[in-house]
Amino acid sequence: MRETQIENRIRRLRFDHDEMTQRELADRVGVTRQTINAIELGKYSPSLEVAFKIAEVFDVPLEDVFTYPGGQA
Amino acid sequence: MSFREKSAWITLITLFVLTILFFLHFPQPWQVSRPDQFMFHVTLLMIATFIGVEIIAHIIIAIRSPRDARTPKDERERLIELKSVAVAFYVYVIASLGSVFVTLHLGANQFSIGYLLLLSFVLAEIVNYALRVIHYQRGR
Repeated sequence: MRETQIENRIRRLRFDHDEMTQRELADRVGVTRQTINAIELGKYSPSLEVAFKIAEVFDVPLEDVFTYPGGQA
Repeated sequence: MSFREKSAWITLITLFVLTILFFLHFPQPWQVSRPDQFMFHVTLLMIATFIGVEIIAHIIIAIRSPRDARTPKDERERLIELKSVAVAFYVYVIASLGSVFVTLHLGANQFSIGYLLLLSFVLAEIVNYALRVIHYQRGR
């Protein structure tokens, strides 16, 4: 099984938001800490709903959190 | 390790140990001329032991991490369950059809058929929980 091609800036965004912990982000998004860790490491691609919730927590557009380099020509 | 990963480990190890004990240690229906009440009682004892161990072990891990235990399953955990159950389903179908084939062609009593079907179910569950553990380790 290949890892996801979607890249994310969650680690950076957490750092910029007063070193928000994975647990805190998980609680605000409504998933487990292990799921946030898997997303952050690029092992799991979240659903659109969870992706939007993560962007909402950081108050940034979705494309500031997730990018898909494979889609760039 | 998350609560559900610990839970999967507990179920996998309990199933594995009890299966080894049950199918290797005790006489099977095809090994004796006339299956008796003893084998029926051993089967019930094993099922009761499995339920008891599951309850006690889950209470212990829930006490150690109550917050994780209370958190509902999220989408990744549901996906892991679905992927594991999908494979385990085929294991169960193939193993149970194999049981029917073997008992029809080799001739067996109703106890043997029951034992083999139970073995098929347990085998499928071991595959199910082994896959969950693997998926949890991989993160997806």
